[in-house]
Amino acid sequence: MTLTRTREDVGLIAHLLRRAGFGATPDELEAAVEAGYDATLEGLLNPVDDVELPLDLIRRYFVDQSDLRNQQACAAHWMYQLVRTRAPLREKMCLFWHRVFATGASKLIQGRVVLNQIDMFREYGMGRFDELLLQLSKDPAMLMWLDNQDNHAHSINENYGREILELFAMGVGNYTEDDIKECARAFTGWRVVNPDYMSIKMRNNTARPYGYISWQFEYDDEDHDHGDKTLLGETGDWNGEDAVDIICRNEATARFIARHLYHFFVADEPGVPQWPHVEPRDPEAIRAMVDAYFESDYSVTAMLRTLFTSDFFKDEAARYARIKSPAEMVVGTLRLAGGLKVPSYDAYAAAATCANMGQALLNPPSVEGWQGGEEWINTGAYVQRVNFASSTLDDPDKPGVRSIIDRVKTSVGGGSLGPEELVDRCLEILGPIETMDSTRQGLINFASKHGDVSFADDDAAENAEKSIVAVIQIIVATQEYQMV
Amino acid sequence: MVTATKFQVRYRDTIGFNADQGGRGFHLPTDMVIRDDGAIFVVSRSNTVALNIVGIQKVTLDHEFFGQIGGYGRDMGDMIGPTALALDSEGNLYLADEVLQRITVYNRDGDPRSMWGTVGDGDGEFDGPSDMVFDADDNLLLVDHKNHRVQKLTKDGEFIDKWGSFGDGEGEFNLPWGIALDPDGNVCVADWRNDRIQRFTSDGEFLASYGSGGDGDGEFHRPSRVAVDSDGNLYVADWGNQRVQVLDADGNFLQKLLGEATLSKWSAEYLDAQQDEFRARSTFQEVFEVDTDDKHEIAARIEPYFWDPVSVVVDKEDRCYVLETSRHRFQIYERVV
Repeated sequence: MTLTRTREDVGLIAHLLRRAGFGATPDELEAAVEAGYDATLEGLLNPVDDVELPLDLIRRYFVDQSDLRNQQACAAHWMYQLVRTRAPLREKMCLFWHRVFATGASKLIQGRVVLNQIDMFREYGMGRFDELLLQLSKDPAMLMWLDNQDNHAHSINENYGREILELFAMGVGNYTEDDIKECARAFTGWRVVNPDYMSIKMRNNTARPYGYISWQFEYDDEDHDHGDKTLLGETGDWNGEDAVDIICRNEATARFIARHLYHFFVADEPGVPQWPHVEPRDPEAIRAMVDAYFESDYSVTAMLRTLFTSDFFKDEAARYARIKSPAEMVVGTLRLAGGLKVPSYDAYAAAATCANMGQALLNPPSVEGWQGGEEWINTGAYVQRVNFASSTLDDPDKPGVRSIIDRVKTSVGGGSLGPEELVDRCLEILGPIETMDSTRQGLINFASKHGDVSFADDDAAENAEKSIVAVIQIIVATQEYQMV
Repeated sequence: MVTATKFQVRYRDTIGFNADQGGRGFHLPTDMVIRDDGAIFVVSRSNTVALNIVGIQKVTLDHEFFGQIGGYGRDMGDMIGPTALALDSEGNLYLADEVLQRITVYNRDGDPRSMWGTVGDGDGEFDGPSDMVFDADDNLLLVDHKNHRVQKLTKDGEFIDKWGSFGDGEGEFNLPWGIALDPDGNVCVADWRNDRIQRFTSDGEFLASYGSGGDGDGEFHRPSRVAVDSDGNLYVADWGNQRVQVLDADGNFLQKLLGEATLSKWSAEYLDAQQDEFRARSTFQEVFEVDTDDKHEIAARIEPYFWDPVSVVVDKEDRCYVLETSRHRFQIYERVV
């Protein structure tokens, strides 16, 4: 049976690949359209065949990606994985949890432990939320980030107890100040090995005498408060595992995670501090994901499946309605250009560009992460975006650019394409990207300066390639390309 | 009755300090050599942030520090991607740089005297010089690693001979890294991505291959360098396994070292001046049970262990020096038996 895919199918699947990944090359989109929406989504939800990073080559040629202390090297390390991955939704979920559970290398004096946290997200980020929250509570970077090494049986430090309730799982308004204290008591004794020395090194911002020491979780039962605690109305001798169970049973947790997922994958919500005061944009969408959470034993994948199969996600109004984050912009553009095949300094440059656009990977501005939305765009960041995208797609010999040229060439056949047709064809191949009429007219005016394109002879073909590359570069400079 | 004497080396000392802000110590070092007068040269590659420590540091076995030769840059005497050091019979110091694709020659005083190198795969050209050693005729044996071969050059870089090509057969290489001579003048090469050591005559004729991929005794994971003592024992920096293995002259396993660094003199002096760190370190449990089997991560957590043991050299007293990129130090071991 031959299935005929409509333009609508293509647009919808392209939307899925942009939101649940980093966009698609023309070949990837073609394959996804052939497979169909549901099969493509299941492939994203259940990745089985990801690339293995060539760690030996990376560590040999980029020694600072072996010790992984400095944040730039670590960001480059992750950037390389983001660009190379064959499991884009899993990497995107790493970005998602990195935003929700924002942990920064700057305080920790080493990027490696934050990268280890990202590895943990990669392993647990699409599984059960309670397992993820437990791993987060044992994560050395998180423990040190929120000072849980100072959370003792007889002298609690409330930082982690507060943030797990406020920022990581439930949100303000769903717990009391007493709950924070009781939650902190549940996590007493949860720390890293050698807490005193590791704390001093962190506080003094030193990797002396012999470089830093990567951290490991340790539970000290003698430093744990074994008294009864009342957390969210439940009383007992709770430890951290119990606290996670109690939190994850609470509907507020499901709502909180659902709203984060909606904000990240569907449409912008206000900042988290406003959530207690502002209803979700789409309460029904949140309700559907909450139901999926409880019906699936807290499965994040089940929530994602509900989201990506819903009308609120598929709706045409949802498409190109969010501003790309710097990571989406940089990773997507590099993947469109053909990716990064070998470890190189290009990954450092890409990570630095991402930081200059306002998203320093592994170093979020605060424990609240990046708000995103319109905050991603200002004059400087926009210039960075345009320069990066147009310079990344400037070379006809890059495999991604060559693929686009070849597709235009196929359209041209033995004839020629006028400016209007060329612009429309490039917009189609690059997205399909839908533009405002004024943008499209501007693109056509630009393309008109290059005249018609044809591949009739070598000279014409050379000019055609230049014209196509120029049109691609101007398309990725439009405001429409900034949207996802 | 004849009693076999069991080979053994034991830990002696550690020299080094993380000099990520410059000064006395090393930062992400990649190679070291020892001159006949006891001068030890270590080259620090550093990272994209701490560029002032990129260079060659000169120290001694007595923890003396004599400053730095060269710096970060493209000018004569400077470097960007230093990989290897070698000494000729006159004590001139040769530096290989895989980013600048060149060899720089410094005299005994550390002054740069010349530099040469052309990137390519022709005779005398190279792509990614990764290690060097001078033979008895004072010719330079250079690992031209991205061309998967060894080249023999004059001291001035003139082509003499070459051997090797990409592959995993006898005499073939896959991104080789280190090179050393045995007491008979044969050439040992760390065939990095083939997880083995190969031995050749001085003319490049294949003699033997030792090891295969794995983490058992006598197996390697990405061996970076090899050194040979006066008895012909091979010391292999088993880089990917975060250890050093010693093989006898026939390639039989003798001993493995995981690292047992102690505080160097410079480190102790630093801690003396940082009393809060000194006090906290008094409760520091250096070696603990880890919850991972990732060797690289284990090395990152246990400070005395080797972390990225990139280079191993043997001095004229048959002491073995293990240079660790990610711990900014070298550990010294000496023969007991």
